[in-house]
This record gives sequence, structure tokens and C-alpha cells, in this order.
Amino acid sequence: MDINAYLIVAGILFSIGGLGVLIRKNLIVVFMSLELMFNAANLGFVAVSGYLNLISGDIFVIFVMVVAAAEAAIALGIAIAFYREKGTINIDKANELKW
Amino acid sequence: MLNTLQIYNNYLVERSLLSVMPELVIVIFAFIVLFLGLFRKLPDNDNSYYLSLIGIVFSILYVLMLSNQNINGFFGSVVFDGMDVFVFIAILFAGLLTILMSKKYIEMFNLPLAEYYSLILFTVAGMMLLVSSVNLIMIFLSIEFMSISAYILTGYIKGNTRSTEAALKYFILGSFASAFLIFGSVFIYAATGHLNIYNIHNFLYTGSSNSGLSASIRDYLSIGLILFLIGLAFKMSLFPFHAWTPDSYDGAPTTVTNLMATGIKVAAFAIFIRVFSSIFDSSVFNFYNILWILSVLTMTFGNLAALLQTNIKRLLAYSSIAQAGYMLIGIIGGGHYGYTATLFYLLSYVFMTAGAFAIVIVFENLNIASFDIKSYSGIGYKYPLISASMSFFLLALAGIPVTSGFMGKFYVFSAAIKSNYDWLIFIALLNSALAAFYYIKIIVRMYMISNGDADQVELGESSANMTAIAANITPSLIITIIISLIFTLLLGIYPQMFIHFASQSVTSLWKI
Repeated sequence: MDINAYLIVAGILFSIGGLGVLIRKNLIVVFMSLELMFNAANLGFVAVSGYLNLISGDIFVIFVMVVAAAEAAIALGIAIAFYREKGTINIDKANELKW
Repeated sequence: MLNTLQIYNNYLVERSLLSVMPELVIVIFAFIVLFLGLFRKLPDNDNSYYLSLIGIVFSILYVLMLSNQNINGFFGSVVFDGMDVFVFIAILFAGLLTILMSKKYIEMFNLPLAEYYSLILFTVAGMMLLVSSVNLIMIFLSIEFMSISAYILTGYIKGNTRSTEAALKYFILGSFASAFLIFGSVFIYAATGHLNIYNIHNFLYTGSSNSGLSASIRDYLSIGLILFLIGLAFKMSLFPFHAWTPDSYDGAPTTVTNLMATGIKVAAFAIFIRVFSSIFDSSVFNFYNILWILSVLTMTFGNLAALLQTNIKRLLAYSSIAQAGYMLIGIIGGGHYGYTATLFYLLSYVFMTAGAFAIVIVFENLNIASFDIKSYSGIGYKYPLISASMSFFLLALAGIPVTSGFMGKFYVFSAAIKSNYDWLIFIALLNSALAAFYYIKIIVRMYMISNGDADQVELGESSANMTAIAANITPSLIITIIISLIFTLLLGIYPQMFIHFASQSVTSLWKI
């Protein structure tokens, strides 16, 4: 079992997620990209802890999933508040605070 | 005779609970505040405020009671040691001052108070857990615990577009940073097979003494540590990762801005010191050079950007970015002396910044000045005491002698000089001169530029002013300002005691 392959896939997923956060304009898609970054790390943890025959990486994954759920709750709350005020969830409308 | 400590030593669960007791007290009080908030019939004004103050004071007492202990809890994920004692005191003071200054301010917005105070307490508990965690899982969890509460607090002013936008930006960039943090943890885990930073430390040092680390381990470790550094740099608001700082500081309620500027920064720097001193091994990669560049960029950018600001909250935000650059100098200086200097700087920074934000809140409550610096013109003669203390805090931030800011900068710079970072100090001194310009610009505005109508203030009007002040400045705000003044002065005049305290706490970092 080659651990590098798994980590490269995780790295690619992480980069896709990171790019998504940076260039997408829709708030929900940005949150999905954040989840993708978290899940890339989860993939890496599962692969590594399978490779090393350890349990601690799997435990980390459970914690990451729990935190991701909590973050999603906050994220959707903020998205709803944003939509109520601006009538859209386009991130470009978040332009009051600059410089 | 029954020795209570011996009993604690014998029972693992109690021992584990003891190691998080100060945090646990805060969390329990946060839940009590939240629970009492359910009963809307109760006069909701004051009880949550007083309860959260009591919680913070109890927690401080607990920290002092346990201050000589060195406790490992929860199978080595949480540790309570000397480092925690110092940083807990700084964080708890940041929380105390934040709660004190929110009394009148948060009532102005007609928002639910119980949730506000309990979220403040949760944030404080998160910061404390972050400082005491020595396991990558715990570090991630407590960063999220702290940040999620802070995201909610940032967007707390319902219907205010600026507040919501600040929360949005803070959330996206904060989660982005957490993702970097856990992705870095993956590589550290792949390289070493451990999640506990002390185990990682032992692995690295015993490994390198035998045969050197193998090439693949070295690669994984350098990728992992750099990603981990990026994740923490977001929380410390170092230069390329600072983008959220001015926006979320500006849009958040001013009290929350204070908590973010003082508490979260202190916690992030403390955990960085803990992680850096144990697993950022220079045999893998020379991290001192990276930190050198980050520090220079951070302070230069922070100061240059602050020069252009016209909004006081943004100016303080950029100044806090610049201060992060100075704090990093102590870590670059390294060793016992450097970490001591950084801890001292963190403590003095808490009081300077809290004082400055308290006075911004005073002006906001009085409606005599908006956030625009122009509206500060001529305030010096109308409100002499408040303006004098504002000038004092700004001079402290600029690093003028007699204040704590000067002593902090002095210790940090001398730590770097000890390690022969001459150019770094040269740039830092130039930056301090640059920083003095924009701090003193505000003082000049308050005292030397007339407001136009300032001359027409008559006696009757000024007595009306006095009643307005009495109605709008609560005793708690005055207490906040007085505490900040006393400590800013004390840390500046008599720093030996605090330096001694800091150096004692830093020694625990090497007792691995």
C-alpha cells in the first residue's frame, strides 16, 4: 500500500477546495468548498492511520466531522442573515467594509 | 494528615478534571447564564452580567490556587503547567475587561443579553483550552470552540449589515485557516505517527540523534509544519494571512473587537509558542528565516496601512497587526529569554488595547464622536480626563517610556539582539517610529485642532454635558479604564515582578 498516492489525492482535493473558496461567488458553494477541504484532510487521516495501523487518526476524523457539522450550522445561519439584509448570497455584495 | 493533593494524584478522573478546572468553571457559569436567559420574566438586565463577572473571578482564583501544579489530564491531551498560569491570567483579564465594558454598550442595541455574555464566556473558555492543549486533536477542537463563538459574536448585532458582513468574512477565512491546520496535522501525523506534541518532539529528537530522519519523513514533516504554521498565522493575523482582521474588527461590536484583539491574539500566540518550541525542529527546516520574513512584512504592512486609516477601529486593527509583528520578534529571538519577552509583551498588550477600546466605547456611548478620527477634533478640552487616558494608551501602544508598551518592546528587541538579529531590530525600530506618527496624530487631533464649535461651549451647556456623561459612562467602564491604566503604568514602571512571573512560567515549556 503506497501512502503517497492517498496523500496526493487528498492534496488535490484540498487544492480544489481552496480554489473554490477563493474564486467562487456563491456563498453556499464557498461553504461546500470549505467542507471539501475538511474532507480532504479526513481522507488523509484515514489513509495514514490505516497505513500505520494506528487508531488516533480515525478518532481525529470523527472530531473533524463533528466540528464540520457545527460549522455548517453557523455558516447557514450567517448565510440566512446575509440573505435577509442583501437579498442575495453573492459574496461580491459583501463590499461595505474595505480597506 | 490528609494531603488533598495526594488524593488527587491517585484518581485519574479527578486529576483530569483538575487540569481543566479553570475552563470548567467558566463553562459552568456560561451554562448558568444561558439557562437563566430562558426565563424572560426575570429582570434580564443585570444578572447575566454579574454572573459572568463572578465566573471569571472564580476562574482567576482557581488558576492562582493551582499555580504551582503541573497536571496532565485526559491521557495527555491537556496539560496545566506554568505557561498556562501566566497566559490564563492574561486571557481572563481580557475577558474580565470585555465583560466590564459591555454593560451599557450592548444594552444600547436591544439584543438578548444572556446569550451575549454566555458566548463571551465560551470564547474565553475556548482560548484557555487552546493554550493548555498539547494534542493536535485538542488544538483543532479548541481553536474551533473559540472561533465558532467568536463568529457568532461578530455578527451579533442583528440587522446591521456591517456586523453580518464582518461575521461572514471572519467565518470564511477562519474556517479556511482551520482547514490548513488539520491538513498540516495530516502530514505531521504521516511523518511521525503521533498526535501528541510531546510524543512528536521525542520522536524527532531521538530519531535525529540516531541516524537522522529519513527523506520521506523529512518531506512530510516540512509540508505539515508549513501548513500548520499557515493555519496558526491566520489566527495570529500575520501579514499575508491578515485579510480578515481589519474587516471583522471594524464590523464587530466594539466589545467583541476588544475580545478578538486581546484574548484571541494572546491565545494564538501562546499556543504558537508551545507548538513552536516543541515540534518546529530546525533540523527539518529553518523556520527562523520564515518567521523573520513574516515578522518584517507584518509590522511594515500593518504600520503603513494604519497610516492611511481614517476610522479609529480600523486604525487599531492595523496597529494590532503591526503589534503581532513585534510579538513575533521575541519568538524569533527564541530561547527562554525570547519567550519570556513575548509573554510579557502579550500581557502588556492586553491592557493597552483594552484601554484604548474602552475609550472608543465611551465616545461611542456619548455620541460625541463616531469612529471617524476627524470627529475626535477638539475633544481634549471638553473631556479632559477621558482624552488624557486615551493619549496615555496611544502612547503606550507607540512604545513611549514609562508605559508598558516601552518595556515590552525593550525586552522583545533585546531578546532578538541577544540572538544577533541586528537587521530585524533595525527594521523594527524604524517601524516603531512610523507607528508613533499615526498614534500621535490622534492625540494631536484631540488637543490641537479645534472642532469649530468648540469655542462656543458655554457654562450651561457644559453642565448639561456633565449630566450626559454621568448618565452614559457606567461605573464599569470607568473601572475598565482604571484597571487598564494601573496595569499599563505598573508594567511600565515595575516590570521585574511580571518578567519574573513570565520567566517562571516559560520554564515549564522545557519540562517535557
